[in-house]
Amino acid sequence: MSDLMLKLRNLKVVFPAGEGVIRAVEGIDLDIAKGECVALVGESGCGKSVTSLAIMKLLNSPPALVRVDELKLDDEELKDYSDGKMQELRGQQLSMIFQDAMTALNPVMTIGRQIDEIYIRHNNLSRKEARKLTVKALDLVGVPEAKSRANSFPHQLSGGMRQRVLIAMAFACMPKLIIADEPTTALDVTIQAQVLNVLSDMQKKHNVSLLLITHDLSVVANMADTIYVMYAGKIVEKAIKRDLFLKPRHPYTEGLLGSVPRLSDEHHHFIQIPDAVPHPMFKPTGCYFHPRCSYCTDKCKESMPPLAKDVGGREYRCWHPLNLGGGAKDGK
Amino acid sequence: MANDKTREPIMVLENLSVDFPVKGALPFQKRKLIQAVTDVSLTIASGETFGIVGESGCGKSTIANAMVGMVKPTGGKVIFKGKDLFSLPREEFKELRRDMQMIFQDPFSSLNPRFNVYQIISEPMFIRGGSTPDEMKARVIELLKLVGLSEKDLYRHPSDFSGGQRQRIGIARAIILNPDFLICDEPVSALDVSVHAQILNLLMELQEQLKMTYVFISHNLAVVKNLCDQMIVMYLGKVMESGATKAIYANPLHPYTNALLTAVLDIDIDNQRERVLLEGDIPSPIDPPKGCRFYQRCPFAMAGCKHVAAPLVEVEPNHFVSCHKINGFPADSDSAENRTPLRADDGQV
Repeated sequence: MSDLMLKLRNLKVVFPAGEGVIRAVEGIDLDIAKGECVALVGESGCGKSVTSLAIMKLLNSPPALVRVDELKLDDEELKDYSDGKMQELRGQQLSMIFQDAMTALNPVMTIGRQIDEIYIRHNNLSRKEARKLTVKALDLVGVPEAKSRANSFPHQLSGGMRQRVLIAMAFACMPKLIIADEPTTALDVTIQAQVLNVLSDMQKKHNVSLLLITHDLSVVANMADTIYVMYAGKIVEKAIKRDLFLKPRHPYTEGLLGSVPRLSDEHHHFIQIPDAVPHPMFKPTGCYFHPRCSYCTDKCKESMPPLAKDVGGREYRCWHPLNLGGGAKDGK
Repeated sequence: MANDKTREPIMVLENLSVDFPVKGALPFQKRKLIQAVTDVSLTIASGETFGIVGESGCGKSTIANAMVGMVKPTGGKVIFKGKDLFSLPREEFKELRRDMQMIFQDPFSSLNPRFNVYQIISEPMFIRGGSTPDEMKARVIELLKLVGLSEKDLYRHPSDFSGGQRQRIGIARAIILNPDFLICDEPVSALDVSVHAQILNLLMELQEQLKMTYVFISHNLAVVKNLCDQMIVMYLGKVMESGATKAIYANPLHPYTNALLTAVLDIDIDNQRERVLLEGDIPSPIDPPKGCRFYQRCPFAMAGCKHVAAPLVEVEPNHFVSCHKINGFPADSDSAENRTPLRADDGQV
C-alpha cells in the first residue's frame, strides 16, 4: 500500500483535427497523496480540463485518443476498466464538481431528486432513506432549510447555493478523490469566499483527496498543498505551495504570479505576460513557452527542456530556472 | 461630490432610479417591481476613471445602461455634457450618443460570429455613414494596430481568436468613432487571470493617448484600486460608500466595503488577512428592505437598521458613507431600542 490516492503516469491525449492533430496533453505525471489538495493551474487551452476528464475516463474515444501508462486510484488500476465498471466507480470513489452549476444540474428535476439518485444508485437505498441522507448532505454544505430546499429546482437557487448543491453531490458517497474544475469562477467575490471555505472544510473534515483545477492562483493560495503548473499540454513546474509562491523556478509561473492584481499594489501598471497561449495545433519548437519568455535564449528555441527534479519533489521544465540561489546556471 | 471645483463634470446622475416591472405568476396578480437602482447621484469628471463596484444584482450594469440611454430611468436625470439625455429630441440624442461607447463583459457573445473583423469594427462608422469604404478600411487598420492586432487579421472571424484578442476587437469597435466617454462593463472578468493585465494595460494606454473618461465596472477590488480615481460601492441598488478611491482604500468605513475588501483572495501566502465572511446571499431586489439594504448580511446590524433608511453622509472631504453604525441614527429615530444589536456574537439573528 502506498500513501498515494492517485498515481497518474505518462498521460497523453490527442484529438484528430482535420489534417493535423491536437496534442492536448503530452505525457503528464500526477501524484495526489491521501487527504491532500493538489492544484492544477494553467491558462485556458493548456489541457487542464482534458486531464481531469481523462482521469474520470469521461473522454469519448473516438474522437479522443487517450494513452496512459498508469492510472491508479488507491492502488487500483483503472486503465483497462470498461465503461460499466467506471460507472460504478464514478460518484462512489471518484467524483467531480463542475464550473457552471447551472449546466451541470438537470433543470427539470428538483435538486433533492438529483442527489437522491446518487444514493439510490450506489447504496441501494429506498427513496425515503435516500432523501434523509440528501437532507443531511445539503445541511453539511450550509444550505439553509435543507429539507424544503431539496424540493426546489436549480433555477430557484442562487449561484452560490447551486455550487453548494454540486459540492454536496460530489461528497455524497464520500469518494476517495474529488476533482473540482474551476469551482468558483462563475461566482461573486463574497460568495466565492464562502464556497471555497465550504469546500476546504469538507475536504479536511472527511480527509478526501482533492484535485483543484483553476486558472486563478489566488484561489490556489488559499486551498492547495501541492501545485502543478501546466502550459500547452505539459507540466512546467511542480512544487509545494510555499516554494512555488515565494521562489518560482519557471518564468511562466513567475509571470502568472505577477499578473494577479494585489490589493497591496501601489503602481499604476499591471504586470503582464505578453501574447497568448500557442494554438494547440501549431506549438512552437523547443520550449513551448519561449516566444513569451523574457529569459529566452537560442537553446530554448531549439530543444524542449527535460523535467528537472530537485530534492523535496520539486520539478521544473526550464533551461534557465529562476531562484536557484548561489548564481543561476546559464545555458550558454 | 461637487465640492471639488477643479473637476469638470462630463456625466452627472441626479437621483437616478430604475425599476423593472415583473409579471406576477398568476394573471391579475399585482405587478411587482424590481428596484434595480434607487436614488443614485454621482458626478463623473472629464478625464478621470470612475469605478463602480458591487456584486451581481447590485445594479451596476443597469446604471451603465442608463448612462448610455439604453434603459429609461423611472426617476431622476442623466446629464451628459450638460444635456439631459432623456429629454433630447431623437436626432440630437443620436448625435450625443456617438460620444459614449461601451465595452462588454463577454467577448464571446458580444461579437457577431458571422461578421469578420473588418465588418465588426467598422460597423459603427458604417451606421453613422458619410465615409467611403477606403476611409473605413484605413481607419480599421489603424485601430487594429492600436489595440495590438495586425492588418492580417482584417478578414478573419471571431472564432479564430482567443478571449483576450476578442476583447481587443471589442475595444477597437468601441473607440472607432472617437468617443470621449467609455463604459467598461467588467471588461476582463470573462478572461483568464493572465490576460487581465494585458487588457487593463491596453485600456490605460488608450486612455492616455485618446484622453477618454472611463466608467469602470468591476467586482475585483484589487483592479479598481490601481485603475480608478473615484469610485462608488453599491449594494442592492443603493450606494453604500463613495468618494476618492485612495480615501476609501485607506479607510474603508462601510461594513460591506470591508467585507468586499477582505473577500479578495490574495496570493501573499505569508500575509493572509483575516476575513470578514458574509453570511447568506444577496436578497432579491423585489421588495428590498425598507431600512438599510445591507442589514440582513451586516455583522453589525442594529434593530433600527431594519426600517430606518441610512442617508449618504460625508464623513471626510470627498468620502461619503451610508451606514447607521458610522453616522448614528437621524435625530428623530435615535433611541436605545434602535441601537440594540440585531445579532449576538455568534452571528445569529
